Amino acid sequence: MSATPSASAALKMDQATTDVGGGAAQTGDRARSGRGAASPGGVPGWLARIDFTPLRSFAILLLVWQGVAVWTASPIQLPTPLRVGAAFLDLAAEGEITEHALVSVTRLVVSLAIAVVLAVPLGFLMGLNRKIDAFVDPLIELLRPISGIAWIPLALFIFGIGDVLPVFIMVYVAFFALLLNTISGVRSVDPKLIAAARTMGVARPMILAKVVAPAALPAIVVGFRLAFAGAWAAIVAAELIGAPNGLGFAIEWYRELLMSPKVFAFILVIAVIGYVCDLGLRALQRRLTPWVDEAGHSS
Amino acid sequence: MNGAVNRPKLRLQGVTKAFVAPRTGHRTLALADVSLDIDQGEFVCIVGPSGCGKSTILNIVAGLDAPTAGIVEKDGAPIAGPGPDRGVMFQDYALYPWQTVQGNIGFGLNYGAPGKSMSQAERDARVAEFVKLVSLTGSESKYPHQLSGGMRQRVALARLLANGPDILLLDEPLGALDAQTRIILQAELLRIWGETAPREQRKTTVFITHDIEEAVFLADRVVVMSSHPGRVRDILTIDLPRPRDESIRADPRFGHFADEIWRLIRDQALQAIA
Ligand SMILES: Nc1ncnc2c1ncn2[C@@H]1O[C@H](COP(=O)(O)OP(=O)(O)OP(=O)(O)O)[C@@H](O)[C@H]1O
Ligand SMILES: [Mg+2]
Repeated sequence: MSATPSASAALKMDQATTDVGGGAAQTGDRARSGRGAASPGGVPGWLARIDFTPLRSFAILLLVWQGVAVWTASPIQLPTPLRVGAAFLDLAAEGEITEHALVSVTRLVVSLAIAVVLAVPLGFLMGLNRKIDAFVDPLIELLRPISGIAWIPLALFIFGIGDVLPVFIMVYVAFFALLLNTISGVRSVDPKLIAAARTMGVARPMILAKVVAPAALPAIVVGFRLAFAGAWAAIVAAELIGAPNGLGFAIEWYRELLMSPKVFAFILVIAVIGYVCDLGLRALQRRLTPWVDEAGHSS
Repeated sequence: MNGAVNRPKLRLQGVTKAFVAPRTGHRTLALADVSLDIDQGEFVCIVGPSGCGKSTILNIVAGLDAPTAGIVEKDGAPIAGPGPDRGVMFQDYALYPWQTVQGNIGFGLNYGAPGKSMSQAERDARVAEFVKLVSLTGSESKYPHQLSGGMRQRVALARLLANGPDILLLDEPLGALDAQTRIILQAELLRIWGETAPREQRKTTVFITHDIEEAVFLADRVVVMSSHPGRVRDILTIDLPRPRDESIRADPRFGHFADEIWRLIRDQALQAIA
């Protein structure tokens, strides 16, 4: 019986949010037709150049989310976007979002740095030297299929709860993505380009620095993006169990308190950070490898 | 003393090259018993049907490929590997995709042997000089994928010439260019080769081309090859006077040489089509 008032309250709220949702959709429509009508007249250049497609797909996601939330009518299983938004503002005001996000991002950055230092030199050695490759490759192939998450229970015994466990898991995940891409990048060097350098009297170390390394760079950068995505996906699992703070910890904390909107708010933070970082990495990719065209071909 | 003067700059003797496919073991005989002596300062053109082994000869002289049998020498010493004394312009250019036009032309100067004793300012000046030579001023900062085929070819030519090697090995260096640019660069090439200089100061040059008139215009000797397997079919000495300019093309002997070469490769060309 006690559930009835809260459920009806939720229903009322859902109606309210449905209105808001509908309103948003209408504004979206208006904005679209407005753009269509104005485009021959002359929209400001910077506005015309922005691609609004992601915004539209986000709007559809929100609508679907709202619809499913109303249909399930269970704020614990699936709170509405509006309640999640409110929870987000609460958490942000209290500084919890920044606190946990900062912890997780710091761990991520440290992990990626360690993975780069380990994987890129090893990738060069394996890509350049058949003997080293033949020796190390079986180990890599054996370990690679094991998900980073599978190591969490063991890592708990070894490292206990703290910073080391999530960093270890993320380094593990990032390492393989970087290593395999570095190896294939090093191997992808066009032998003609090395031959040309040799006919110009370029010494071996210089060939490595000025031919092999730049030829491998596009693949390494792609590997770094994959490493980031994998590590960021693994951090939640690692922090869920193995850390006293961070975004994964916060999710688990509020789950135990049955505070779904806050759980969702932290999930959103993870999504947004991942999305923004990937945009940043793409921009970095264009800057680092300007000779690689949109399709990823380099000549 | 006398022996050194008579010794050819480059010598290929009984050179055979077979490529064996690693998996199937299938053998392709690219060159069979090719013998050719090239003197200091000589300009030799090689013509012949596609697949007759022209690029293979160039790679062997460059030291990038070893012959299956036979002797390859430079100044009487066997060629064991590549070196900056023999500059190569590759058929597919081998430009560095991550280097701009400037970076590609200056690659040997900046990182290799040719620029060892130069200051950075001297290297940059030399790069600018050769950018200008191949009319790429204004495109210095473009990457190879932003260039047309003909522009890429000119970058590769400029890179080779900027390195200033003793021996020039050019694999169809002007093939992708329009007729006007081609004629201008032919004249430039003769100037850089040292047409007005005495023979000892000229750069020994091996130049592969499909263009018969180009071969006659440039060469001291034209090597005509036949294919399957690649052999030297004939060698013509082009004793037209030097320095040559455009008027030489109207010389009746010029047409005579071109006809002769055409006659030598026509049968094979017709066979290839049939
Ligand atoms: N690396 C290789 N492996 C196997 N076969 C090869 C290799 N390089 C060349 N060949 C073969 O050797 C023969 C001669 O090739 P080459 O490239 O020297 O010809 P080419 O005269 O330069 O032809 P084109 O005028 O088309 O450039 C061809 O039959 C080719 O298939
Ligand atoms: Mg060829």
